[in-house]
Amino acid sequence: MPKMRKWTAIVLAATLVGALLAGCAQKEQKEQQQEKAASNAPIVMTFYSEDPSPNWAGMEDEVGRVITEKTGIKLKAEFAVGDAQQKSALIASSGTFPDLISAKGSINKMVDAGGMRDLTDLIEEHGPNIKKLFGKEMKRLRYSLDDPSIYVIPTYSAVDNVPFKAEGGFELQHRVVKELGYPTIRTVKDFENAIKAYLEKHPTDENGNPNIGLSLIADDWRMYISVTNPAFYTTGGPDDGETNIDIDTQKVTYHYRRPAEKEYFRWLNHMNAEGLLDKESFVQKSDQYKAKIASGRVLGLIDQQWGYDDGEKAIKKEGKFEHGYGHYPVTLTEETKDTSYWPTGFMAGYGVGISVDNPDPVAAIKFLDFLCSEEGQVLVNWGVEGKHYVVEDGKRIIPEDVINRKVNDAAKFQQESGIGTYINMGGRYGHGVKDSTGNYYTTEFPEQIIAEYNEVEKETLAAYGVSTWIELFPKPEEFPVRPWGAAWNIPVPSDSEVSILQEKLKNITWKRIPQIILAAPSEFDKLWDEYMAELEKAGVERMEQGFEKFVKDRVKLWND
Amino acid sequence: MRASSADRIFDTVVYSIVILVTVVTLYPFLNVLALSLNDSTDSVRGGISIFPRQLTWQNYEIIFSYPSLLTGFKISVLRTLVGTLLGLASASMLAYTLSRPDFQGRRFVSIFLAMTMYVSGGMVPIYILIRDLGMMNSFAVYVLPGLVSAFNVFVIRSFIDGLPYALQESAKLDGANDFTIFWQVILPLSKPALATIALFLAVGQWNSWFDTYLYNGSNETLTTLQFELMKVLQSTDSGNGDYRSTNMTQVSPESVKMAITIVVTVPILVVYPFLQRYFVKGMTLGAVKT
Repeated sequence: MPKMRKWTAIVLAATLVGALLAGCAQKEQKEQQQEKAASNAPIVMTFYSEDPSPNWAGMEDEVGRVITEKTGIKLKAEFAVGDAQQKSALIASSGTFPDLISAKGSINKMVDAGGMRDLTDLIEEHGPNIKKLFGKEMKRLRYSLDDPSIYVIPTYSAVDNVPFKAEGGFELQHRVVKELGYPTIRTVKDFENAIKAYLEKHPTDENGNPNIGLSLIADDWRMYISVTNPAFYTTGGPDDGETNIDIDTQKVTYHYRRPAEKEYFRWLNHMNAEGLLDKESFVQKSDQYKAKIASGRVLGLIDQQWGYDDGEKAIKKEGKFEHGYGHYPVTLTEETKDTSYWPTGFMAGYGVGISVDNPDPVAAIKFLDFLCSEEGQVLVNWGVEGKHYVVEDGKRIIPEDVINRKVNDAAKFQQESGIGTYINMGGRYGHGVKDSTGNYYTTEFPEQIIAEYNEVEKETLAAYGVSTWIELFPKPEEFPVRPWGAAWNIPVPSDSEVSILQEKLKNITWKRIPQIILAAPSEFDKLWDEYMAELEKAGVERMEQGFEKFVKDRVKLWND
Repeated sequence: MRASSADRIFDTVVYSIVILVTVVTLYPFLNVLALSLNDSTDSVRGGISIFPRQLTWQNYEIIFSYPSLLTGFKISVLRTLVGTLLGLASASMLAYTLSRPDFQGRRFVSIFLAMTMYVSGGMVPIYILIRDLGMMNSFAVYVLPGLVSAFNVFVIRSFIDGLPYALQESAKLDGANDFTIFWQVILPLSKPALATIALFLAVGQWNSWFDTYLYNGSNETLTTLQFELMKVLQSTDSGNGDYRSTNMTQVSPESVKMAITIVVTVPILVVYPFLQRYFVKGMTLGAVKT
């Protein structure tokens, strides 16, 4: 019977394939064991990271091979995909740890499970470059007051990073300031007047669609970026998450309770009453917002560059550069400074640690130490000398063809060269830091940013007498250093009362703020008082007092 | 036979509903297809319906520039084939055994199986079990743990139960042993049920990425297509400012997402028509016989 034969054949085939694969797997394992046995081969260490690295080439890229050659270590890496925190929890509870772990916020689970090794002595003995890189910041590497061990080398925060690219502030289209003869844009009134004057002259674009004065975005967490964070940036408060902290007494205030911020929201309310605020500000989704910006009709924004970049790129692609945006350090009154670049100091935090299962912790720390060295830093940022950069008159220069590949063939170039792949695996210097030869460690520096500006942007910048947007903003040096770094980076356990209260307050604020901004100006004071009363009823003071303890602990941990 | 006016109204209503449903289900798919073929920067401006405005392969090029995608594709095809065939074979054999009234442990095995539908060990214990069985970093982990699914067994069993028992008796009288009855009588008659289960298994195998994530994440030679695509998606999506992956800045994550959706759906769309005729048969089979 042909039918029977067909079925039997299929089942038989499947079984055979299954058996074959099982055989293959075994053979592979054997090969691996043999590989390990060979003495001069590099030590293979497993590495786990919570962040993706799509261009990972198993250290077979050019930079990777140099690292293996210098350190004798080859990583077999796993980059979590999907819900990384779940995977980390799984590793922690299974009790078998990868040799090197970069688990971001989940590191506490690994520590609780007893999976992480204290690196303090290892760094002391084998980590001269680590010590040099972190220098006086070494205190900030400690885990907690109760457990002052060092479990990770911070790899996400860069040391001594100098910001030279303005991403925030208030944004105005170049055509607006040009039309008005480049007026000073310093206070919210200046900003408002510019938009108003332009709208009066040009209520519609060339196709007859109405121009929009100021558009905000409040799609979920974008609320923070575009609506509520500017309230402290414009009134002299640094970014401390949802709080404001007194620098001397460390008294915590829920930042909306500062009187100055009430005036900021009053101004937004006024903008709405004047018809200058986009009516869709609180209902639009991110893609609608970007589409609107891509249409070129929005004159002003209060957002970060990465929030509207896609939209701006689309309009620039059409060649309408005058519809692009400039960044202005707008504040509520002339007396206050824009606090966008209030420095946080070195933020420590997330990084790479060595697990208790690591067979050779000394080799592992030497590996991490190499990445922190000058040689290692130049290698991971710039690549291999003579191949990815050349040194001319003591200056590192990237040849034209390499730049070309970096832009046009980026993914493949990274897979082959490994440039950029290892930056996040070890401690690192920030942008604007120079090495012993006087060159920058990273490949991003002011000259390069200026080169990226288009002609219209350069014209606007020249009219304001600067060469980059950040020159308009107050310098980091003008602000005192906060001993706690920044409050948004202080971890609060999710089951603590503070965290529950914060969630409660967030819900009130996210409901109330849009309501207050969109209300009639005569209603403003009444609604604001109601909002404040509601916060108090929800326990805002208990949150403030509770959080103060976390801040004080952080100050002690980082400074004593 | 002339259709009465009532019939015509009925037909009109039915056809309108069918057309409406077709549009509602087809439009999102065509929209995704159009977006995946449209220039990414242009898509930001919105307003794309079912035709791309600026045709480009750019989004697909981004996806296929990852070399691990090819291995992923091979493993996905392999696991779908092996997993479906083995799953089908074991589920149907177990189902047949359970359908035989003369099988002593029938009740016990049925209850035992049914329990797995309601009670599960939980992720961590299963992970530890798989690890201790030495199945981490192996292909077997894609196929073996899910080899027998209680649900599939019960579906096939109830189908076999619906076949006249007399067929088996007559085969026995003709001298067939149990295996011959299974191969020559039961399996050919159960094709509609098997096709349904095969489709379940195949779609499940094809779509699954979670087992890769749990057990084979660090083994580049054994990752599946879905897992690799998930990686690509995540890298376009994750990170702002400093950490935004430099190579992705030319294409917005939305466009890549659309292209990925097409890449993972097409193979299933290709297979479906071949199995579909069995569904239709499955539905009409009973009607013809009675």
